[in-house]
Amino acid sequence: MIACGVDLGSTTGKAVIIKDGEIILGEIVMATVKPAVTAQLAVDAALKKAGLSSVKDVAYIVSTGYGRLNVALANENVSEISCHAKGNYFVDPTVRTVIDIGGQDCKAISLGPNGAPLGFEMNDRCAAGTGRFFQVMAHVLECGIEGIFSADNVSPTPTSISSQCSVFAESEVITLVNNEVPLKDIITGINRAVAGRVSSLARRAGVADKVVLSGGCYLNMGLRAALAEALGCAVNVLPMNPQFMGALGAAVFAQEKAAKAGTQDGGAGK
Amino acid sequence: MNDNVNSQIGFFAQISNTITNPFVKDWKEKDGAVVGYFCPVLPEELLMAAGFFPFLMRGTGSDNTNQADEYFRSSSNCSFPRHCFNLALEGKYGFLDGVVMGTTCDTLKNVMKNWSISPIGTPFVYMVNTPHVSGEVMAEYYRGELAKFRAALEEHFKVEITDEKLGAAIKTCNETRELQRQLYALRKLENPPLSGSDIVSVMVAGTSMPKELYNAKLKQLLADIGETEIGGKKKLRLMLVGSCGDDTLFTQIVEELGAVVVADETCFGGKVIHGKVDEENKDPLDALARYQIVDNPICAKMANMRDARREAVLSAVSEYQVDGVLGQRLGCCDTWGVELYILHEQLLAAGIPSMMLEREYVPDNIGQVSTRVQAFLETMGG
Repeated sequence: MIACGVDLGSTTGKAVIIKDGEIILGEIVMATVKPAVTAQLAVDAALKKAGLSSVKDVAYIVSTGYGRLNVALANENVSEISCHAKGNYFVDPTVRTVIDIGGQDCKAISLGPNGAPLGFEMNDRCAAGTGRFFQVMAHVLECGIEGIFSADNVSPTPTSISSQCSVFAESEVITLVNNEVPLKDIITGINRAVAGRVSSLARRAGVADKVVLSGGCYLNMGLRAALAEALGCAVNVLPMNPQFMGALGAAVFAQEKAAKAGTQDGGAGK
Repeated sequence: MNDNVNSQIGFFAQISNTITNPFVKDWKEKDGAVVGYFCPVLPEELLMAAGFFPFLMRGTGSDNTNQADEYFRSSSNCSFPRHCFNLALEGKYGFLDGVVMGTTCDTLKNVMKNWSISPIGTPFVYMVNTPHVSGEVMAEYYRGELAKFRAALEEHFKVEITDEKLGAAIKTCNETRELQRQLYALRKLENPPLSGSDIVSVMVAGTSMPKELYNAKLKQLLADIGETEIGGKKKLRLMLVGSCGDDTLFTQIVEELGAVVVADETCFGGKVIHGKVDEENKDPLDALARYQIVDNPICAKMANMRDARREAVLSAVSEYQVDGVLGQRLGCCDTWGVELYILHEQLLAAGIPSMMLEREYVPDNIGQVSTRVQAFLETMGG
């Protein structure tokens, strides 16, 4: 049986295909202004990798992420909270806390021993503590997102960033730049500030070992270190690309739903 | 539901979706006075006994707070009073002959100050000191405050508010509460005949039309619905707790995700239908004060009533067979900030699924809200 999950995030689209138990990750495609188009691009990339020619070969498709609604090629949608829990638990059943930092949101999910979400928290509308925040800072510091994420830019003497709002934090950082504070100190300060916000969010949801970080910001080495320090426990990264955990969870749901419905190959697209 | 019931619901929805409804216009044309009040702790019975049209303030139809923001300099105030105040600055509350605030929360106190210095020009602006602690001493104190309020109304509007008129108003409002409890009883059915957003419409309409007429309309609705249960798949049943609750949109967002809101403890809903004001009490002001401060003091502003609030929610959960509790507070609402956090812990300890979320009076983050609510429903198997 072939099942597919497609995660339509604010910044990127990702699809995962499960083909007779084998997991095939697609490509990370940039989000377009139309979720249905992004979905098509992401699913096409995954189909190609799986050696499939048509979406008709897929038994069931579940969409998730901000663009999950009104995607015609999906049979149904599941919230990203459930999908991230499902995907991470599928890869590692010892996971009890998932922290996902994506383009415009940040969520913490605590999982029970059976993988079901026990509680979850999400950031409010503001961008602090999300990938967007790092993009804004990278622009101000002219260091690229790689500069913010680099392990080389972790400093033992971080500066303090106290503004919780991205816009105010931006002017705070500009002041630091003008005062010639070393770049590394500012970057570490930014990562610590985000880690502080994310850790309080995670504690509200409930933190238990094993903690994993998923979403695009898993690539941020300074954030990982700062988060481990703030939470007082190890922050792990799973062996499978953490940016695909939402899509993987959606694919696992698709597989379960297809099995339950007894859907045969060729049922996708309703 | 049949067309007859649907059209009656449409009638209530039309009242609750507008500010200047036909009844307000009609009342003004007949030279009647309309007095807005900002919190149900202020007894509308007093305004009715004065011969006025009481209007519970809301921000229906507002889409920005640009004018109000000029007055609210502090950033830590919630969006409900700011939207109401903005509508007033836009002239949408021009029909008010008076407006009354309670000292319910700091933001409402600021509305009072701002209203007084603004060009809105409402002829009578008054603040009633409303207790934040329940008990006999405070009931007596509140009786005194209500007596001052009565005197102020009498002096400004040149009317006489007799005990007899108060007694009649109390009877009418008690009948409203009784009818609304019958309405809420329909929500206890396995497949409630009315959606949660329909209930919001019916409840809100009751705060902005003449009460006798409302009672008659509600009686008709209840009679026409009868015992009808609708068929269909059993939905997840939610209870709504927290700020305001006068907009149908938020409930609609929740219900479009496949759940049904069957109970609530909000200012325009379940919180105001409990019990009755004592009709036997020879001193009607005392009866009104006791109803608010001693008999029905579960508002989150009451500092010593946390256990009673928890019990009210827990008993509603069992009465209405609630699957999960959805707490919502408006951003910057201090009154509900700590309350919801504590309630959440208490509900989880009692094994009741619970989710708390922050929102704005005019929902500007529908995507986020629906993602969270959908995830909450999924955790309950929805």
